Amino acid sequence: MDKKIILNRMKHNPFFIIGATIIVLLLLICFLSPLYIQFDPTVSDLANKFQAPDLSAGLSSHILGTDNMGRDVFTRLVVGGRVSLTIAIIVVALQISIGVILGLFAGYFGGVIDIIVMRLCEIVLSIPQLILAIAIMAVMGPSLSNLVFAMVFGGWVHVCKVTRNNVLVLRKQEFVQASIVLGAKTPHIVLRQIFPNVLTQIFVVGSQRFGESILQEAALSFLQLGIQAPDPAWGNMISAGRTFMATYPWMVVAPGIALMLAVLSFNFLGDGLRDILDPKRKV
Amino acid sequence: MLEYILKRIGQTIFVLFIVSIFAFFLIRLAPGNPALLMVPDGSSDEVIRAMEEKLGLHDPLYVQYFRYISDILHGDLGQSTQYRVPVAKIVADRLPNTALLAVASVVVGLLISIPLGIVAGSHRGTGVDFFAMFVALLGQSFSPVWLSVFLMLVFANVLGLLPAMGMGSWKNLILPVATLAYPMAAQITRVARSGIIDTLSEDYITATYAKGISRFEVNWKYALKNALIPIVTLVGITIGSFLSGTVIVETVFGWSGIGQLMQQSVNVRDYAMVQSLILISASLIAIINMIVDIINSFIDPRMTLS
Repeated sequence: MDKKIILNRMKHNPFFIIGATIIVLLLLICFLSPLYIQFDPTVSDLANKFQAPDLSAGLSSHILGTDNMGRDVFTRLVVGGRVSLTIAIIVVALQISIGVILGLFAGYFGGVIDIIVMRLCEIVLSIPQLILAIAIMAVMGPSLSNLVFAMVFGGWVHVCKVTRNNVLVLRKQEFVQASIVLGAKTPHIVLRQIFPNVLTQIFVVGSQRFGESILQEAALSFLQLGIQAPDPAWGNMISAGRTFMATYPWMVVAPGIALMLAVLSFNFLGDGLRDILDPKRKV
Repeated sequence: MLEYILKRIGQTIFVLFIVSIFAFFLIRLAPGNPALLMVPDGSSDEVIRAMEEKLGLHDPLYVQYFRYISDILHGDLGQSTQYRVPVAKIVADRLPNTALLAVASVVVGLLISIPLGIVAGSHRGTGVDFFAMFVALLGQSFSPVWLSVFLMLVFANVLGLLPAMGMGSWKNLILPVATLAYPMAAQITRVARSGIIDTLSEDYITATYAKGISRFEVNWKYALKNALIPIVTLVGITIGSFLSGTVIVETVFGWSGIGQLMQQSVNVRDYAMVQSLILISASLIAIINMIVDIINSFIDPRMTLS
């Protein structure tokens, strides 16, 4: 599709604009946090526990209050966000790499390869993602690489199925058939003719995987199987704050809203992209 | 048709066979000696050796696997190391609680989402449509983690209208069901809406208008029937994320179903239980999806062709 059309559609799609703006802001706030945070995210300061949010002195006051260990909630929020977003980026990159490669193979070559890959997808999909990840984490023990492995294991199938279904349709189209007849080599056809055409779909499913990964990491950290205390993550902050939320609600409200905002913006982005990249839409 | 159904059943059995191998070997990878969990602390080496022998840990792996499968087929899911009673008994005690949550959530979810999707789809581009889509996108973005805690904070802690935890009265059901139903309803609303939009542009719908049938009847009788297939399929697909959700929801609200059981079993390393729960949830999903495909093949026989 023409770049101009895509840019024009982007400008006129409120979902895309809102989603992309929030994501950029979240990334900036979280990844630039070492430059501006005033407190240590993990060292407790029991003299200052359960301080209510206080905006009086800007970032040097506890703008989102402190938790049961006297740690600054805002600091933990942005540092935890950096961890959660980094994990999501790594997980989605791996899911896309595996899913696209297997999907291209299965869709283009068909036959036995397709049957094996599709059965593999069906098997992974038959186990609920979170339950699969919980079992893997329980057996392998909590660590960052195990967490990434557990999340990639259950998530690549969605990318794979989308890629494969698109390749299946593309392979039958005239321009691909023509290349085959003209004697083009298989790698050329797959990488230069088919791959660019599935890319748009991969963007859409990729942004959905982002939201999904953030949710899943939050759930695992909430169950104490993901990021381990005292290191902050949105999921384990909600889990820790639960006990005290009746009196000190900011302990759960801050990470909860951050979590929702992050997932919402990736869903907005995915929805917007689907509209923008829809080839059937009239120019 | 019969051929399709048999093929689908064959596929399901194959998938479950592979899942059983996976569940078996995953637990084999777990650190620690399973025999140690079954004997009293400080037992002598001989007692431990005897327990290993009793559990068949010295046999070749494939022998152990086939014994595991044959036990399962005889209804023996092994012994829970946490409760020291058969896994099957505990699961049977807990399953009805989760089933109650599941049925209530699906019913509530469908009752809200289908009308909302139809109204939104047939009033495309209006304020109603925008509102429905906003509510739906919001629902898809609420994680069970945050939604359950948020609802508990608002309705139990702040307003004091509903009990925070436990089970027994119908009031206990409201918050867990709301947490599970909202994200599901959100997804179904969107599918129902796009299904209605697609159907309403078909020629035969225009023909029904031309015959003078009321708009209400067209939307709810003719268009809905055709938008039903993606909805039925989606209910089958969401059952997976639904079971994932029960782990969180049951943990937060102290609901003693199999989701909470999964979380507890992982914490105390009750591997026989974890293994069985993986297998049970996979079986539920595989069987429900098989039934969904078969139902769909009756709604639209063309589906059996591919």
